[in-house]
Amino acid sequence: MRTILAVARKDVLLMVRYPMNLISRIFEPIGWLMPVYFLGRAFSQGGSAPGFAAWTGTGDYMAFIVVGWILSAYVSAVMWGMGFSLKTEMDQGVLESSWVAPITPARLLVGRTLASVAVTTLTSIAFAALATLLFDISVRGQLVPAMLFSLPVVVGLYGLGFMLAGLVLRLRDANTLIDVGNFVLGLLSGRDYPVLVLPRAVMVLSLILPLTYGYDGIRALLLGTRPLLPLPLQVLLATVFMVVMILAGLWTLQRLDYRTRVEGSLGHH
Amino acid sequence: MNRSVPDNAVELERLSKRFSIRTMRENGARRRAVQKEILAVDGIDLVIRRGELFGLLGPNGAGKTTTIRMLCTLLIPTSGRARVWGFDVAEQADEVRRRLGVVLAGERSIYWKLTARENLEYFAALYQVPRDLARPRIADLLERVGLTARADDLVERYSTGMRQRLALIKAMVHDPPVLLLDEPTTGLDPQAARNIRDLIRHLHHSEGKTIILTTHYMEEADQLSERIGIIDQGRIIALDSPQALKRSLGQGSVLRFELVGGKDDLEGSLRTIPGVHTVTVERPADDGTRELILHLNDPGAALPRALDAISRGGGQVRHLQMEETSLEDVFIALTGRRLRD
Amino acid sequence: MALTVPHPCGVVPSRPGYAGPFAAVVRRELRIFLRYPSWVVGMIIWPVLFPLIYLFGSRALAGPEGQGLSAFARLAGTTNVQGFIVIGTTAWMWLNMTLWAVGTSLRTDQVRGVLESNWLTPVPRFVLLLGTAASHAVLALAVLVLSLVEFRVLLGIHFSPSVSGAAAVIALTIPWVYGLAMAFAAVVLRFKEANAMVYFVRGVFMVFAGITFPLSVLPDWMARIAAYMPLTHTIEAFRAALLQGAGPAALRVHLAFLFWSGLLLLALGYYVFRTVDRLMRRAGTVGHH
Repeated sequence: MRTILAVARKDVLLMVRYPMNLISRIFEPIGWLMPVYFLGRAFSQGGSAPGFAAWTGTGDYMAFIVVGWILSAYVSAVMWGMGFSLKTEMDQGVLESSWVAPITPARLLVGRTLASVAVTTLTSIAFAALATLLFDISVRGQLVPAMLFSLPVVVGLYGLGFMLAGLVLRLRDANTLIDVGNFVLGLLSGRDYPVLVLPRAVMVLSLILPLTYGYDGIRALLLGTRPLLPLPLQVLLATVFMVVMILAGLWTLQRLDYRTRVEGSLGHH
Repeated sequence: MNRSVPDNAVELERLSKRFSIRTMRENGARRRAVQKEILAVDGIDLVIRRGELFGLLGPNGAGKTTTIRMLCTLLIPTSGRARVWGFDVAEQADEVRRRLGVVLAGERSIYWKLTARENLEYFAALYQVPRDLARPRIADLLERVGLTARADDLVERYSTGMRQRLALIKAMVHDPPVLLLDEPTTGLDPQAARNIRDLIRHLHHSEGKTIILTTHYMEEADQLSERIGIIDQGRIIALDSPQALKRSLGQGSVLRFELVGGKDDLEGSLRTIPGVHTVTVERPADDGTRELILHLNDPGAALPRALDAISRGGGQVRHLQMEETSLEDVFIALTGRRLRD
Repeated sequence: MALTVPHPCGVVPSRPGYAGPFAAVVRRELRIFLRYPSWVVGMIIWPVLFPLIYLFGSRALAGPEGQGLSAFARLAGTTNVQGFIVIGTTAWMWLNMTLWAVGTSLRTDQVRGVLESNWLTPVPRFVLLLGTAASHAVLALAVLVLSLVEFRVLLGIHFSPSVSGAAAVIALTIPWVYGLAMAFAAVVLRFKEANAMVYFVRGVFMVFAGITFPLSVLPDWMARIAAYMPLTHTIEAFRAALLQGAGPAALRVHLAFLFWSGLLLLALGYYVFRTVDRLMRRAGTVGHH
């Protein structure tokens, strides 16, 4: 535990020494959301979007999207954060130094993402406050149940993150994988819209993804939207997802790390 | 267009460069930014003759890199003048670049995602070498450095030695009369370094190129250069052939002592010994040992007297070594430190 | 005895002028680009992937029965929501890709170590930068054509284009986009913080230029700012050319604005570049990374 916290502490210190980065993490999503906000206004009548309400049960499309973006910030921090930090260290040539330390790769990665998650929480709170002011959002639902529901989802993401980290170790050129993968995952899991709008063939893929239910369940609890499945079932799915992903992720990372050590390709980039 | 060839390839006249930098200064509990001027090159006068192979030596921070960068037009001088092949580096930069082939940053100065041939064709185009002349010239250059067989492989697959060779011939693709080579053998294995030195000698002897070479390797400067300029704190502090520079320290023998203890005025008493030309004391190490370097005119007479003086002065000799005077010794004698410090 | 030689160098240069070096830079950039398979794949995928967020978002906003469509049509002047959106996103992507590729090219070369090699040659440095910009313009045009084909084939989006109108918009968009990118390249070289600068500029354009929405939904003060942005005019003109078949005559107000923007931003690009070049030659920081 101490080593995990040491890694996390180092990463948090590094992050806060680049305040411009933190500030841009709060304001950059606003830039991305503006076109969506104005697109919504083009479809709105009397301050509400009737078309949107027909799909989801709420006309407050910005609240719907902001909740999605906050969860996706955690997805980025956990899932992609591991792979991305590995890639950066590979490029800088310092990965081997970390890997020979007496700490398992999984613990090292968890330490990295702890820092990321902590900072993401702070920036998300700031972002949510700013978005509320700008887009006149109201959240009338249940915050604590929503946060509890999100826990197994986020923990399950760690498992997915281990798998991706293993892939990055093997592939070495991970930028395209991370960029495209992150984007496609957001498209399929309904970060910006209800997945019911997707073409049938694509919707099937979407409904297989556990993350889809993560977005859906949290919105149902926070905004009162119509859930895809009954909420107790979604809680069960999230829990199963968490257990399966953690086990599968650890196993995959261990196998891929082993292969990398056999080939001696850790320091290559 | 006919143009006479100048007698001097490079001329520096009171060449100076000042930099303004911002530093943080402690002022009690506060720190504030202040502007500071650094005189990196301090009025250098230097002439390099056409066809000469000139070595420029100096430690980091001596002004060597700054001087080189002014010569190759990457840096504008603060005052003074520099001319390459008769053209002023500040006023006629394009003409200077046409006549200069430069190797800076070695293997990083070429495109790794292009092949060797593509790199050379590209730079030949930038130097406006006609295509029908560029192709045979490129083939010849590749052959000279043994890269013909791998000419169509991406540079990212080359070894460091191969990349360094490519960087060198890239500088020659437009057949410039002056070559400026900044540490051309750094990072190479001994065989590869030897190959580069052989090529440099060939360019100098057979093609009459004027070559300015900077290096950290004293032996390399010694072997290759006709004349050497030693630069320190922005000034040329020595300028002569390698042999003359070494002779200036005595008949060519150096005695090195590693001592513990001994009187503080030991250096003074050693200087009075007949047969000792100069005495240099290096900074003491953390463990209290210090190195004394004696340049000797008459080693037979001086050695026993020196040992006696050390013993009487309470010093204990840990290590003793006798060798021929090297340029490193010249450097230490002039600056009090090693080239790599 | 002073020797006389035909030319101080061993070879005689070809006709003066920089067409050869310019072409060499274009060839170099295209060759290097094609040797990164992930970049080529990205060039094919992103034009159709990126607008999907907004396309699906617009479906959600329109409603299962199209309840929201009439409001949109009234404001945008068209019911072709998808066509409206993809034109805006494609134009924005062109700017974004250009700011990254051309805007960070000098800094990338500096970090790689090849900037000095290029700047040691007798070719004017601005010509080298223009070559990089031109190579990117070639790629961008290829992406544009590919995008229109992908929109039609994969997404089923229909256009009613005026080819001359669209060509005029493209021709007059190139100068301002690349002028801005060249100014950017110089600034990034000097200040080194490429990421923050690109995010800021593209963020401003994203907010103001109407990439996914009709400008009439903007508050007045934002609409006034948007009217002075060249990207706004590119998008408006492109939409009119591709969705309503507007020819150059109908687009003359937008085209005039783009023409003057192009002149201004090219001049700005040149001026900023020369200034940074002079500053860096004074400070000797060309090779620093």
